Amino acid sequence: MDEEKRIGVFICHCGTNIAGVIDVKELAEYAKTLPNVAHAQDYTYMCSTPGQAMIRDSIKEHNLNGTVVAACSPRLHEPTFRKATEEGGVNSFLFSMANIREQDTWVHMEEPEKAMEKAKDVVRMEVARASMLEPLTPKTVPVEKAALVIGAGIAGIQASLELADAGIKTYLVEKEPSIGGNMSRLDKTFPTLDCSQCILTPKMVDVERNPNIELMTYSEVEDVSGYIGNFDVTIRQKSRYVYEDKCNGCGKCQEVCPVSRPNEFDLGLMPRKAAYVPFPQAVPLKFTIDMDSCIKCDLCKGEEACGDLEAIDFDKPDELTTVKVGSIIVATGFDMYDVERKEEWGYKVFDNVVTGIEMERLISASGPTGGNIIRPSDGQKPKSVGFVLCAGSRDQDEEDGAKPYCSRVCCMYSLKHAHQLIEKIPGCVPYLFYMDIRSFGKAYEEFYYRIQNEGGKFIRGRVARITEDPITKNLTVTAEDTLLGTPVEMEVDLVVLANAVVPAESTQKLKTLLTLSNSPDGWLLEAHPKLNPMSTTTDGVFLAGMCQGPRDIPDVVAHAAAAAAAASIPIHKGSVTLEPIYAIVDQEHCGGCATCIGVCPYGATELNEVDSKLVASVNEAKCKGCGTCGSACPSGAIKMQHFTNEQIMSEIEAFAQGW
Amino acid sequence: MKEYNFFLGCIAPNRYPGIEASAVKTSRKFDIELRDFKGASCCPAPGAFGSMDVNAWLALGARNICLSEKEGKDIALICNGCYKSLFEANHRLKADPAMREKVNSILANIDYEFQGSVEVRHLIDILYNDVGPEKVKESVEVPLTGLNVAIHYGCHLLKPKFDRTFGSSERPRFFDELVEALGATSIDYKEKMMCCGAGGGVRSYKMDLALDIANEKLYNMTQAGADVIVDVCPFCHLQLDRGQVEIKEKFGDVYNLPVLHYNQLLGMAQGMNPEELGLDAHEISVEPLLAKIL
Repeated sequence: MDEEKRIGVFICHCGTNIAGVIDVKELAEYAKTLPNVAHAQDYTYMCSTPGQAMIRDSIKEHNLNGTVVAACSPRLHEPTFRKATEEGGVNSFLFSMANIREQDTWVHMEEPEKAMEKAKDVVRMEVARASMLEPLTPKTVPVEKAALVIGAGIAGIQASLELADAGIKTYLVEKEPSIGGNMSRLDKTFPTLDCSQCILTPKMVDVERNPNIELMTYSEVEDVSGYIGNFDVTIRQKSRYVYEDKCNGCGKCQEVCPVSRPNEFDLGLMPRKAAYVPFPQAVPLKFTIDMDSCIKCDLCKGEEACGDLEAIDFDKPDELTTVKVGSIIVATGFDMYDVERKEEWGYKVFDNVVTGIEMERLISASGPTGGNIIRPSDGQKPKSVGFVLCAGSRDQDEEDGAKPYCSRVCCMYSLKHAHQLIEKIPGCVPYLFYMDIRSFGKAYEEFYYRIQNEGGKFIRGRVARITEDPITKNLTVTAEDTLLGTPVEMEVDLVVLANAVVPAESTQKLKTLLTLSNSPDGWLLEAHPKLNPMSTTTDGVFLAGMCQGPRDIPDVVAHAAAAAAAASIPIHKGSVTLEPIYAIVDQEHCGGCATCIGVCPYGATELNEVDSKLVASVNEAKCKGCGTCGSACPSGAIKMQHFTNEQIMSEIEAFAQGW
Repeated sequence: MKEYNFFLGCIAPNRYPGIEASAVKTSRKFDIELRDFKGASCCPAPGAFGSMDVNAWLALGARNICLSEKEGKDIALICNGCYKSLFEANHRLKADPAMREKVNSILANIDYEFQGSVEVRHLIDILYNDVGPEKVKESVEVPLTGLNVAIHYGCHLLKPKFDRTFGSSERPRFFDELVEALGATSIDYKEKMMCCGAGGGVRSYKMDLALDIANEKLYNMTQAGADVIVDVCPFCHLQLDRGQVEIKEKFGDVYNLPVLHYNQLLGMAQGMNPEELGLDAHEISVEPLLAKIL
């Protein structure tokens, strides 16, 4: 630190982004007048190859031992300029970035004189900080060659298969008794009309057979600790009350079980027993006993049923397993919007108002009606069906929990339903009440034309209300036809509400465990909405599928594969480099008060006994460098590297000099 | 005893004094005193004023609220239109400082300032939430057993939902429960939540359309076997009562379906006589109803 400080200041024009507002030449001249500045210059694009070379060469030419680049946000080019500094032979942490674009010339473009003043302030502050910076060395830690995927819908299945095929041991955790998720509920998939189960089950079987995948169904993640490369995950395998290794899936327990209750898989449209598999193609084909409805009659254990297999044990406890993984993919999917809250449409009040996913079960050959589309009130085939699109999507009614975003799947699956109705019931007319038909994907618009030609009727207007004729149970749909500019009323036999998709309730707990956040719409927040939609702000944790936002199956599969690729990178590299921007505890001064333990949002601080005295320490890998512990520490024993008190104070002092 | 400033509105005191009288008399049975509200003006009418100039509408409404604030009394009222004007003015001005500032700058001309220190309550809200159906039931002397009541909630009582506190705006139950507490039956009928046809200036602007809507409503009620219509709004009341005479003239349809405000029905059940409840001021004779009850 005693060495004379020689700072180089590099002012970026950023085309006209910066130079169009302030005089960069003047700023460079100003920088030269600041203490410790040995060199200052400006250039059109500092981030370009010649710009970087300029930094590298200037360091050598002017014998610099610190750099400041006044340009954009460090979120964009801090790594670039750190590297250029390093190439010049100076420790990369002796570089500091002055943001004079996002925080100055962009927001103050109408006031160039004030923008110039602010640019001077910012440069002065960063020069002061750069004079106080200390060289740091990044740390490398080894990475566990295994991954965890949470959720086994199509997203989790795809991600697991990709990881496993890349040679990575993958733990796939699913809370339900079977994998498959919502896709296994669907009949056909738009726009190609291939059968959902037919394309999904091969993948489900692959999951079960892949030697690199350890499937844990009826299981939930209980706890996560550690950090990228080294996560310790505790998984609760809920008791099925059936030994999976003994159960051969014969189903005799189900045959004799006297209990009947609504099957969740069929959204309650069909009954199941207390001993059950959710659907015939379930993977694994192991029975589960739902202890909440079991009456313990013991029939399933009897001679006629499980008998000598002895697979059933009512006292079988939950099991906790701990696995060590290098990266984690969250693929927890979505829930359906509770459309009952839209009272005007009468869901659960009128027999013949169903939701889109219920319609899937009504069409499905494995569904409650064996694929016969009938209306619930009387079992008759509907001859006219009204579709309410955007049922809870693109709707700003916060009171009813509706969502302002587009759910991205409802237009297309409603078109598909319309096609299936026309195909299966001669003479049946589907009426689609829509705001806009969003058929944006490959071959989607063509599918829309196809349904128009097949006889689907499209009415552009939101449905104001639905009323029921108490005798016929027919429904009258009232809407405004915004193309004709007139109110319309239409009597139909059945109404399908294309209800919105909403963030899954089950994701909430994971958010805390993995320190993830969500965007304002409630979906999990990605690292970058465009350039990194499969990563999170927690290193080593990735997102696949709907948990990040509404998307259809092709997009989910692509997203899941991207997440798998991203998650495999640290594993294949074998080690990860950790930023040295973490807190360190001066254990001489630490009083062991544990204040830092309570305030750390990442669980990175811990209390240990050293020389029979309780002192705090910081797990360097878990620490995100937020500095909360440092500011909370009553004895000033915590030093936040790269943001030390001295460094921050020097910035404040430099700022104050401008007043 | 809880005292309220009783905001009468325009229609009740001028056309149906029985609504005013019954509200005061029935409330006393529950230790609620509806006091004269001195200096109160028109609410003003939400459809006519609110759709022209929101700030003027809120300011006129707020002036009434300010008067009550000076006395430190909550306001009770018996009209859905007044409810929309005064409840919403109170609700919005309490919640929105910018709107409040705008309105207060208008009120400054008469040296008034909206404070947000009182509540505006519909009497049906007080009866349901403060008194409760149980106590209402206890006050009954003549149970209205066997009486089929077609309830008309009225639009402004329930909508817009985000400006109300009653919960369900499509399938509410509170009014039904209060009617059933009197021993009567609340019947379900087609389009129960439909408008009476009068609101939003429609009755003044396009009588034919207003009556057409009322006609459909009356037809549906009759089809469901209604003995009486019960409302909580003098304007709906006017439309459904006086409207029957007009419908007969215009369309030739005859219903002769008596129309009572809830407080009048409550008064009947509490054993008051028809004259003191002002039932003789109605266009449609209540005689068949009386014959059924007494």
